[in-house]
Amino acid sequence: MNMKKINPWKMILLVTMSLSLFTACSSQGKDTAGPAADPSSKEEKKSTDAPPEPLGKYPETVTVTEVLGYNPPEDPRTPKGITPDQNAYLKDLKDMLNIEVKYKWTVPSSQFEQKFSLAMASADLPDIMELDQKNFEKLKKQGMLADLTEAYNDYASPELKKYMESDGGFAMKTFTEDGKLLAIPAFEDPFLSTQLLWLRKDWLENLKLEPPKTMEELDKVAQAFVKNDPDQNGQNDTYGVSLQKNLFFWAYDLRGFFNGFGAYPSIGDNQSAWIKDSSGKLIPGLIQPEVKTALGKLQSWYKDGILDKEFALKDENKAVEDITAGKVGIVYGEWWYPNYPLNLNVDKDPKAEWIAIQIPGLDGPGKSLVPKIRSGKVYAVNKKMKNPEAAIKMINFYIEKGKKKYMEQNKAENGYVYNWFNPRIYNPAQIETIYTEVNKALDAKQTEITLDDENYKNVADVFKATQDYLAGNTANASKGVNWGQYFSRAAKDGGWGMTRQIKESGAFVNNEFFGLPTETQVEKGAQLDKLMQESFTKIIMGGSLDEFDKFVQSWKSLGGDQITQEVNDWYSKQAAK
Amino acid sequence: MDAGDSSRLRFERGGPSVRTLKKEYLLHIMLLPGVIVTLIYAYGPMAGLVMAFQQFEPLSGFFHSKFVGFDNFKYVFNMPDFKQVLWNTVLIAVIKMVLFLLVPLILALLLNEVTKRWFSRFIQSAVFLPFFLSWTVLGGVIIELFSLSGPVNGLLAAMGLKPIMFMLDNEWFRGIVIGSDVWKGMGYNMIVMLAAITGINATLYEAAEVDGAGRWKQMIHITLPGMAPILILLGVLSLGGILNAGFEQILIMYNPTVYEGADIIDTFVYRLGMFSQQFGPAAAVGLFKSVISLVLVSVTYYAAYKYNNYRIF
Repeated sequence: MNMKKINPWKMILLVTMSLSLFTACSSQGKDTAGPAADPSSKEEKKSTDAPPEPLGKYPETVTVTEVLGYNPPEDPRTPKGITPDQNAYLKDLKDMLNIEVKYKWTVPSSQFEQKFSLAMASADLPDIMELDQKNFEKLKKQGMLADLTEAYNDYASPELKKYMESDGGFAMKTFTEDGKLLAIPAFEDPFLSTQLLWLRKDWLENLKLEPPKTMEELDKVAQAFVKNDPDQNGQNDTYGVSLQKNLFFWAYDLRGFFNGFGAYPSIGDNQSAWIKDSSGKLIPGLIQPEVKTALGKLQSWYKDGILDKEFALKDENKAVEDITAGKVGIVYGEWWYPNYPLNLNVDKDPKAEWIAIQIPGLDGPGKSLVPKIRSGKVYAVNKKMKNPEAAIKMINFYIEKGKKKYMEQNKAENGYVYNWFNPRIYNPAQIETIYTEVNKALDAKQTEITLDDENYKNVADVFKATQDYLAGNTANASKGVNWGQYFSRAAKDGGWGMTRQIKESGAFVNNEFFGLPTETQVEKGAQLDKLMQESFTKIIMGGSLDEFDKFVQSWKSLGGDQITQEVNDWYSKQAAK
Repeated sequence: MDAGDSSRLRFERGGPSVRTLKKEYLLHIMLLPGVIVTLIYAYGPMAGLVMAFQQFEPLSGFFHSKFVGFDNFKYVFNMPDFKQVLWNTVLIAVIKMVLFLLVPLILALLLNEVTKRWFSRFIQSAVFLPFFLSWTVLGGVIIELFSLSGPVNGLLAAMGLKPIMFMLDNEWFRGIVIGSDVWKGMGYNMIVMLAAITGINATLYEAAEVDGAGRWKQMIHITLPGMAPILILLGVLSLGGILNAGFEQILIMYNPTVYEGADIIDTFVYRLGMFSQQFGPAAAVGLFKSVISLVLVSVTYYAAYKYNNYRIF
């Protein structure tokens, strides 16, 4: 039937917009679309007589609306079939603070961006929002965000204040406008972004190969992983390097590979990286000649079957499937891989053994790109919300739950899914705390860790898994899970261990731009991104390498030059500060 | 839709008199819910078209967004991809349109010749079934079918042919998009056409048989002319969709490698609106599409009337 094909998305958009138009015309306090419409939160009166308490319980239930994009729980011990509404954190929140979280909607993470865009388009926003910088910028411009200054000053717990001040208040300043704090940034140690190369050690040993230090050696290893049956099952069923359709993503991508060529195209999630040139100006890493060299290598890798022939059709889940199934033995990425998905592979194949090494470069190990600040997400509050301090109290609550006294109960098997709970602020130095505390306890042959503050849970979890792993104890969790905790966070040659070494040796290059997205970036970003994806994918799959020069020209004229200008304007202002 | 039908319609064009209105008021009341729904869901949202001329900010709404005249249109038409996207859309849509008439027509004619009732019933249902499947499901199935490790390539390998990356090749991809959509949707038009064939006066066939016409002659001289009105109707209606190349389907099946051959206006608008949140330009493209469709439908409608003395409405 060709006659009445309705474009569903446009339809939804139009309908919601027209609805919001109608409600705007006829609203007399009966604001059905508005997020603050929940009667229970309206009736709530702010008690002015009691002094502000970071974890004070509301006399009457405060209902807070949120939206959520979620992944399956990381911990395999989590009860099966649990939904975000059933998260035990929410139950505790209700008991402890009398705050009730209502999800306006929940979707798998992969659909969140779309769904949230729709919500923004129809102005149907929840009370507390997890935003990326782009959306933060948009909502700020439209005056949708509540001023959190007072709520933060009055209600932030000492721990939260300590975290926020750990960088001298720098991140908070970025999200303050005209003296108004508009969001609580969830920033972390920027070195968490350091790219490593993860390799199947058992495959190397099977083929009598050494871990590669240079690109040339890596090439040999990858070739051997394709051709020489590294898993020794007599079948030609392996390939070299893991990749999915987004070349610069948050995982299973090629950022580290490009870094090895001295090319710094992106900090991930398709955002361009900006590096300093010899004259002290910022230049876009994406269009530098080193990128072309790297693409040339990828082209030959594709031809040799080192990359999956159909990587352009694969999403992240397919990439994980291949890693788990032992089809691929090399993957670029960050410190956390052992925790997921390498642990799945370790559990599936008892012989599987992974190591982390510094990324191979042209001559000797290469330098990874590291951002100046790492703050992907911020938490902001809808201006219409009656109790903005509830957001701060919820953050306090999450941090509080890390303390020793909650340890007995706060476990995955009891339905606690930490990464479904928002707003969630971590100790920016959390991973370093875990690493040092666990290693301290290990070196002193302690059976318990001595630390007793809000970091307790995080440190104790890893310490326990580490002990279990080293003792071969699988009573509490599978070998893979224990190993994942240990090898990502505590092992000296593991994820964070390697990252620390790289940090100390200075083998990194900074992404110099850390401002909010510029005007042209917001406007033209998606178009430039499409151009990049299309050109690069084609080149890798056998297109002419000279396409790259055309890409550079188009990129510049389609807004890239303008963005470069804006970024440099920002940079000179930053230098003047 | 026979001649008598349309002449009655023409008669009423003079406008109903008060007398007939009184007599038929119940019928008009019955019409009301449909009219109201149309007003709310088809005419109401048209107010949103104002976005096409605004630098639209959702939270400021239609009333407070800045008017920018035709800037959005200029912006979109000057985008380097736009020509390619427009070409893809028209190409895919036109081929689909033609096939959506041709394939069901052939199927209907063939089925009409089948004498075993149960067999023709079975084929009808089998052909109609995929129409009810959603692209969300079917898209995934098709990607798997045509992937390197899928059955289609398995078949090729068994025949000693080289594997083909169907979903990553612009030409193949376009073919698969068109083919699968026609396969999925052909049942609908086929049923409509079968119904039209049933409506043809049986005495015509009897007379033809007396005159010595065989099955083939009967088909050429009776069945096809008898179906002409419905064919024109289907054709004219589908023309309105000349810029609809199948949004859902392509969105689910495409990937960066085949943007060149399969990025269509709708997917383009979608990325513009949903990911870049440039609602103004997105609305401008939508309006552009609607205007083209309106013009095309009007022209064909007028032409059908003028040259064939045939009216649909």
